[in-house]
Amino acid sequence: MASTEHHDDHDENQLGHVASIKVLVGTGGTLLVLTLVTVLATRIDFGANINLGIAMAIAVLKATLVILFFMHLKYDKLFHAVVFVSAILAASLFVGFTLMDTSQYDQTNIWNPDKPPAAPIGPRATQ
Amino acid sequence: MLLAVSGVFLLGFSSIFTGLNFLTTIHKFRPQGMGWFQLPLNVWAIYATAIMQVLATPVLGITVLLLAVERFAHIGIFDPTLGGDPVLFQHFFWFYSHPAVYIMIIPGMGVVSELVTTFARKPIFGYRFIAYSSVSLALLSFLVWGHHMFVSGQSRLANMVFSALTFTVGIPSAIKVFNWVATLYKGDIRLKTPMLYALSFLLLFTIGGLTGLFLGILAVDVHLHDTYFVVAHFHYVMMGSTLVAFLGALHYWWPKFTGKMFNESIGRVCATGVFFGFNMTFLPQFVMGARGMPRRYWDYDPQYTIFHQLSTIGAFVLGISMFVTVVSLVASLWTGKRAPRNPWGGSSLEWQAPTPPPLYNFEKPPVLHELYNYDDLVEVEEDVWERQTPGTDEPVAKSPAHAETVVATPPTVPPTLQPTDVKKTATAADPADAKAPDDKKPEKP
Amino acid sequence: MSSEAHEPHGADDHGHGHGHGSRFIQHHYDDAKHQFDSGKLGIWLFLAQEVLFFSALFVAYVLYRNHHPEIYSYAHKWLQVKFGAINTAVLIFSSLTAAWAVRAAQLAQPKRLILCLATTIACALTFLGIKYIEYSHKYHEQILFGRYFDPCVSPGGVELLTRSNECAGTKTTVDFDEKGGTVKSGCFAEADLDRDRDKPGVQAECKVDEVHLEFYTPPTFKTSTNHDCTKVPIANFVGNNGTYTLTGLCESIIVKGDKNTVTIASVKHLQVQGSDNHVAVKAADLVEAGPVPPKEGEKPAPSTPNTITVDKAVSVDKPKIGATDSEVNADEAEHPREVNRVAIPNQCPEENPFEEHKVEPKKPCWRVAYQPQVCKADKVGPKYGIIVEYDDTSERGREIAIAADCKKPDKAPDPGDVLADKEQRLVLGQKLIAPTRELTTEQEHELEAAGPPPEHTNMFFSIYFAMTGLHGIHVLFGVGVFTWLLIRAIKGHFTPDYFGPVDYAALYWHIVDLIWIFLFPLLYLIH
Repeated sequence: MASTEHHDDHDENQLGHVASIKVLVGTGGTLLVLTLVTVLATRIDFGANINLGIAMAIAVLKATLVILFFMHLKYDKLFHAVVFVSAILAASLFVGFTLMDTSQYDQTNIWNPDKPPAAPIGPRATQ
Repeated sequence: MLLAVSGVFLLGFSSIFTGLNFLTTIHKFRPQGMGWFQLPLNVWAIYATAIMQVLATPVLGITVLLLAVERFAHIGIFDPTLGGDPVLFQHFFWFYSHPAVYIMIIPGMGVVSELVTTFARKPIFGYRFIAYSSVSLALLSFLVWGHHMFVSGQSRLANMVFSALTFTVGIPSAIKVFNWVATLYKGDIRLKTPMLYALSFLLLFTIGGLTGLFLGILAVDVHLHDTYFVVAHFHYVMMGSTLVAFLGALHYWWPKFTGKMFNESIGRVCATGVFFGFNMTFLPQFVMGARGMPRRYWDYDPQYTIFHQLSTIGAFVLGISMFVTVVSLVASLWTGKRAPRNPWGGSSLEWQAPTPPPLYNFEKPPVLHELYNYDDLVEVEEDVWERQTPGTDEPVAKSPAHAETVVATPPTVPPTLQPTDVKKTATAADPADAKAPDDKKPEKP
Repeated sequence: MSSEAHEPHGADDHGHGHGHGSRFIQHHYDDAKHQFDSGKLGIWLFLAQEVLFFSALFVAYVLYRNHHPEIYSYAHKWLQVKFGAINTAVLIFSSLTAAWAVRAAQLAQPKRLILCLATTIACALTFLGIKYIEYSHKYHEQILFGRYFDPCVSPGGVELLTRSNECAGTKTTVDFDEKGGTVKSGCFAEADLDRDRDKPGVQAECKVDEVHLEFYTPPTFKTSTNHDCTKVPIANFVGNNGTYTLTGLCESIIVKGDKNTVTIASVKHLQVQGSDNHVAVKAADLVEAGPVPPKEGEKPAPSTPNTITVDKAVSVDKPKIGATDSEVNADEAEHPREVNRVAIPNQCPEENPFEEHKVEPKKPCWRVAYQPQVCKADKVGPKYGIIVEYDDTSERGREIAIAADCKKPDKAPDPGDVLADKEQRLVLGQKLIAPTRELTTEQEHELEAAGPPPEHTNMFFSIYFAMTGLHGIHVLFGVGVFTWLLIRAIKGHFTPDYFGPVDYAALYWHIVDLIWIFLFPLLYLIH
């Protein structure tokens, strides 16, 4: 028969958890609202860093909703969450260590042979 | 260059999918009764390797992709004249490439775990420590990539941090070496060809690993970077360890997957030749590297001549030994004795499979025994080992549900949603398979 | 039991498959659940590697933003937030339909499954369409990545050339209009010239509206006249018994003849050649006077000396009354701007300043000329370029731009040819590329207030194109995968015990959506 509406969402023979329409549409709607909020929040100037912080916080919230509900991670084996989180951790390691390194660099001056920077970096001022 | 980059990209993704495959298999295809701590250590090593393959190799993929785009479209991400940063490329490259070297060595370590326990006829000492150290090595390997960049313009802070972390990454490897040596202690050691390779590994990996630590010391590395010391170090770990473990594995499992025994005497002679040749090749390189001989130079000062000459002679010895090994192995395909099911007395499941194994490996469900227990393995004749404990359909632990579905009958029965009936699976007895109680069974010692 | 397995299942719309499982359950799995769980673990591992695959680009983004925030706050203005927001909404909606497709497969709702899959594909194609619009807009406005980003030419079709901006752009040649004798447009990239931007006629980087052009063809007056030096500061006076009154600030005046009466307010360099001239000068830097030099071989004729009076009170510098030297004393002062210059041979005909100009030079000529190294003179020939003359006060006393010979580029690139690795030629006052959107006054002002692009703004666009491009490729792959799923769904392959591919593809799609959820604020919503 064609699509039966009187199915049982919690049938034992079901492979994996079946998401309810409420959850799906609710999550989708929340995500759209949060997108709107993000766009509107940039119109108000709280300062560059705080704006970035707000945008990232909302993005993380949206990501969490997608992961937990659309991707069913909430109802899934814990190991899948471990896999995903370890990937995020590896990526943060990557960003963190590289940032630690580059933040210690002096300001980069592209060397212009016709106009070398003054001493002590450039040639001696007195010859 | 596009060809090379495409090749690396493709190879990288094949590596990722291999790791993905192994991880899923180890999680999902263990027989019932084989819990995590009943896994052979070889499998633990593969598990650790697979973690690194999945997490590190994609960074290589994106790096070579960016390299190609940089070269052809000049996006400028690595080009300082356009505003990019070449050290960024190094960070990207080494984030993969350091875990990559562990991807290369850890399977070798897994093999050595197997060889050492089989040929000492003793359970492995510190099983859990070796298992944990494999995985922790995989995880720690992600923290140390900067030690390849000590002299490339990395900041002082990062240099110190990476140097300190590099010290920690040597610990799990050391734990393993101690455990292997402890396994050998008071063991019933048989110096067969695979064992000779395993023993070579122990010495050569110790040297390679220690010299790696020397290079991890920031101050020392500034002097030794890009010298022959580095060349010698990585040959000790790549060739002296990985390749030697590979040769040991090749000889160990050769009877199983080809069904033929290779010539043991030639194997032993060549194993010795490899050992001596290798050391003669690379030991002098440590010395000349420390004395300043740079790497990737085609010419050198006369003070290094003797070292280069020793190295060359050693290389010939090594090469000849390896060549003879390969010839001997290939020749055994035609002239070798037919191999029994268990020529070495190994305790892991593969030795219960027929030789060579059929499709799906087993023709009747293998019996899970206690891990690394050699008590009931007896050498009934030379190079033929058999278990004394009778094999039954009911193994020591619960019945392996996975193995049940693999039967000798044509595998056309798809499993259904109903649980399969254990008793009904027909086991077609292989006439070549000797039944457990045998008239040749000797008295139990 | 074994025979059932080979029965091909048609496109049944059965719900829960009692009695027979899907034919897609592979034999090496225990059961459908085993296959599903294994595949699920596999796809999560794949998603983990996808995260790492993108991580390097996020590293690059974070690093550049950390070290050059000015580039980001400047450059993001040329991204269109509305398209980014629409794309975000489209992707979120497609995530919803993908998750719903999984649900439909689990509950044996084949029509709904097909509808959801088709909607997901449609949303993905919409995303790609909008992306195409954005990219083509960027291409038209020449907002490209890396080497191809030239801020002189730059974004939004905004004319940077008419503004007093400095932009560290690529070198350009300068277009010279021969007919009008004016410089049309151009930009130099000479970093080391000691430019004085306040002086008129100084050619600065990207600044062409203030070029001053003058040719060395001083007018010659033969009769008594009043001459205002303000407009023409260089003049020759030839004749006898004339009365000349010069007002204004004169630069180079030559008086040839006898018994003239000259009154000059202020002059920098005065030459008087003749005898019995009466010259009254209020202020002068250099005055030379003397009789006409005799022709070769002749004896000097007797002459009455000239009377030159210089009002000392006005003149700051002590005027020098030099010898009767017919030679022009070039200003020997050091030219600080002679670095990087190539001398151009004198183009004027052989000139004796004390002779009448019999022949009008047919083309502009100059006495002393220098050429910046932007364009090197190869030969005397058709003019193609511009020279800027600095500080040659001895002759003309001001900066002059003179047409000269320059090596013509092999092929003039088309204005819209952004990938031409040639010097770009620009036209003053004309938008190089017609912008696809008209800027409002407010936007114009905002752009003007923003000033020129910071150095290496191209890096922002490199990272932007790399990240969105890689993401777009993943969306394209997703379209392919979902199309394949759609075909299989139409054939009825998916049943409640076998819907793994739908689930796994949906998970992949959610990761693609996730990445975009982070890309959107990071790239488009920078404050």
